Amino acid sequence: MIESQRHSYHLVDPSPWPISGSLGAFATTVRGVMYMHPFQGGATLLSLGLIFILYTMFVWWRDVLHESMLEGHLTKAVQLGPRYGSILFIVSEVMFLFALFQASSHSSLAPTVEIGGIWPPKGIGVLDPREIPFLNTPILPSSGAAVTWAHHAILAGKEKRAVYTLVATISLALVSTGFQGMEYYQAPSTISDSIYGSTFSSATGFHGFHVIIGTLFLIICGIRQYLVDYCPTKSLCILAHKCRDRRDYGRSCSQRNYPKVDLGLFEIVPFNHN
Amino acid sequence: MASMAARSIRALRGSTKPSSLVAAGKRRFSASAHDDAYETAKWEKITYAGIATCTILSIYNLSKGHPHHEPPPPYPYLHIRNKEFPWGPDGLFEEKHHGEH
Repeated sequence: MIESQRHSYHLVDPSPWPISGSLGAFATTVRGVMYMHPFQGGATLLSLGLIFILYTMFVWWRDVLHESMLEGHLTKAVQLGPRYGSILFIVSEVMFLFALFQASSHSSLAPTVEIGGIWPPKGIGVLDPREIPFLNTPILPSSGAAVTWAHHAILAGKEKRAVYTLVATISLALVSTGFQGMEYYQAPSTISDSIYGSTFSSATGFHGFHVIIGTLFLIICGIRQYLVDYCPTKSLCILAHKCRDRRDYGRSCSQRNYPKVDLGLFEIVPFNHN
Repeated sequence: MASMAARSIRALRGSTKPSSLVAAGKRRFSASAHDDAYETAKWEKITYAGIATCTILSIYNLSKGHPHHEPPPPYPYLHIRNKEFPWGPDGLFEEKHHGEH
């Protein structure tokens, strides 16, 4: 089919995952409300909704990997989509965190009488910014430097080295999250302590969540890099071409038609034995 | 084999003519191969410097110990409870309010 295609865009096949993800998100929202208001069975239903979303993410990304690595749809034109998507996602995060900073700054500029007319509010124990916060500040840029190293290592063709650098990136991010968890546990004030606690914990908590998401992302990238490293071609680009050549062979060989219940990641594994 | 590879590369490109997006047989990035090796070495050094800095700071910070705060008076804007959390009376990091303090 692709042989007759006269353009470099990917016209996707019908897929159940968009509607499945939408239903999962709707179910999770309703069941989240049920959980927060003490409805019976709210926690169980919420867990089921979240599992449904996770399953959709899993199989959808499995299909994306299949389309890019096996069917060769990841052309330069198609790569623009995820690129713009990443940029828009980061821009939305910047705006979101700007709003949280603004909430804190707004409350601090003219502290209300309800919190004692001072900032930080009377009775709030403030964390010393020269201790754990100052320690965590260089850890995340170091993690960023390590992932930049990984990026250039992949471009320079040092695939094995890229696996180690991703391990360094993930380790630094986990150390940072660990320190933040420790700091939260020892902190004198919490999210339920006045507008100071609310804005402080929202901003730092969502940043921590952002770091955790990035860590999960890079763990998946690291595992994929590790698996691709076993491919004798040693190059994702060549891998995609070669696997495309062998597609018909792979399809006709019944042992390779694994049931689709396995890890999405392991769509790559059959290639490694080619 | 070689002709199959060439055909699949053509198919990937989506055109029989050489496209400006993909040069023949080689992926084009903003930097060339030599620059990538240089950049890799540079970021390797920066990463090692960062890890060394973080290690020294961690040792210094953790050896100092952390300060202990006196629990504040029960001002109405502290420890706000409008209703119970789904999992119990305390927030996720609030064990200390009912602990030894």
